[in-house]
Amino acid sequence: MPSIARKNLFHDRTRFAITLIGITFSVVLIFTTIGVYLGFMQDASFIVESIPADIWVTSKNLQNFNFAWPVSERKLEQVKEVKGVAEVQKMIHSWGVMKLFSGGTEQVEILGLDPEGPFGFPWHLAEGRPTDVKGGEFVIVDQSSVKRLGRLKVGDVREINDYRVKIVGLTHGLKSITTAPYVLTSYDTAALFNPYFREPVFILVRTVPGESVDEVAQRIREHVQNVDVYTQTGLSAKTRWYWTVATGMGMGFLLTAFVGFVVGMVVVSQTIYSSTIEHIREFGTLKAIGATNWTIYKIILEQAAINAVIGFIVGLGLVLLIKKGYDALGIAMLIPAPLMGAVSVLTLVMCLSASVVSIRKVRTLDPVMVFRV
Amino acid sequence: MSDYILEARGLRKVYEEGPVTVEAVRDVSLLVKPGESIAIMGPSGSGKTTLLSMIGCILRPTQGEVIIDGRPVRWEEDNLSRVRLESIGFVFQSFNLFSALTALENVEVALDLRGSRGPESKRRAREMMEAVGLGDRIDFLPRDLSGGQKQRVSIARALVNRPPLILADEPTGNLDSKTGHAIIELLRDLVVKERRSVVVVTHDTRMIDLVHRVYRLEDGVLVS
Repeated sequence: MPSIARKNLFHDRTRFAITLIGITFSVVLIFTTIGVYLGFMQDASFIVESIPADIWVTSKNLQNFNFAWPVSERKLEQVKEVKGVAEVQKMIHSWGVMKLFSGGTEQVEILGLDPEGPFGFPWHLAEGRPTDVKGGEFVIVDQSSVKRLGRLKVGDVREINDYRVKIVGLTHGLKSITTAPYVLTSYDTAALFNPYFREPVFILVRTVPGESVDEVAQRIREHVQNVDVYTQTGLSAKTRWYWTVATGMGMGFLLTAFVGFVVGMVVVSQTIYSSTIEHIREFGTLKAIGATNWTIYKIILEQAAINAVIGFIVGLGLVLLIKKGYDALGIAMLIPAPLMGAVSVLTLVMCLSASVVSIRKVRTLDPVMVFRV
Repeated sequence: MSDYILEARGLRKVYEEGPVTVEAVRDVSLLVKPGESIAIMGPSGSGKTTLLSMIGCILRPTQGEVIIDGRPVRWEEDNLSRVRLESIGFVFQSFNLFSALTALENVEVALDLRGSRGPESKRRAREMMEAVGLGDRIDFLPRDLSGGQKQRVSIARALVNRPPLILADEPTGNLDSKTGHAIIELLRDLVVKERRSVVVVTHDTRMIDLVHRVYRLEDGVLVS
């Protein structure tokens, strides 16, 4: 015999469709909210995680990667003296204003480091070579900055902080959580752009193979005064924590995802309850002819589970389409497998929880009702 | 082995509605032998359905005892479900079919509850549908069946597990005269053929000639 749950569900297609719309809406909202949040977090720590430095030394009381302040160049030599340090490289991260072709201006984040240094330029270049930034005021910009900086091509000339710069290359996929486009250049050129950022903002460290990164970091803290020392994962986590907690962004995303969950649960709860009420006489009949409460609970829970599975699949399909749209707009939205697993479980929990009211109704159902006309 | 399939002894049911106490059934005793059929008649509000609910193990009596197939009924939910499942088949005035299931599936539900599934279960349900004259309507939904056909499905569902006791609540109450008569005959024939005991609660005087004994219930008291 086909399950009563499935038969009841598919018998009333309008209600089934309403339920699915509710679940799908919920799934899409949760996925997009968390997916975009994860995309932001990826952008937030993208530079830190893409440069293969084991340890990052920077100014004291750093809030996050994007708001670091320079340290004295002497610190570079002090870091080199620490046991376990194999190689160091200085890097500037600063801010500038680019004059646009249209005459307007746009803020940019400037990254300056020697492309021939130990860490090089670890980013994917669509055009040009990292070493093209050497020997002049040359910069590389990201293709995604077209909306902010206008269409740029290799050979174009622009002004950053009143310095004329020539575009010598284009990167792909290099974005900042601040939304300001990244401009890559050599360390010396970056030092020219901003008088407050003439010295290293970060000292990147590669440890001696076999040395504990944590131990080397501790030695640097003990040997070099008035700096913050982070492992790569430590700086990445601090930056993500800043954008998530200190800015309130995380709470906003969490709240939106929670609203999605609640809306889904309310819709499913309403439709499952109305279905239960509509079939209450049938459930009473089942009880009268010998079904236990648990048999009827299983029918209600099976309905909820079917709703959850179909709603999740439809929702996921829509989310993948939305993701394509986001990608086209240059907005990062990540849907990793663990997120899919978590949202699928959440959807199931949502739908099963939504059945509680119906189950309570059935628990107190008096089968004597079947004799009433 | 008991001589009776149903023994109801001193059944009493009192409803309390605020300050008002209503005694719906008073000291009713009833014995039904295997293969015997009885009718309980009486005006509306006389307590017929309350009595049927108690002997059907659906409503706990305020006082008295129900013994089915020699076993006293323990009024615990799990036990009651088991007794209803194994020993009683119900036929309802309003048919109470599952609207989303086909006629055949409605019959299979009863088998499914007994743990009987698969081809054998389907075969048994088909046989029962043919026995009630609906072999050509097995895939129809209840909404596509007439009142008489729905009651036939309800009878098939009640009998398919071969329970020793059938309880029917106004089985012809929602049917026209001709269809009602056909249903009564069908119920009688199947009960005789399958050697079941049946208790019918009804207004329908045509039942008098089709049962072994007729009782009359007045103000909760079984008077004849």
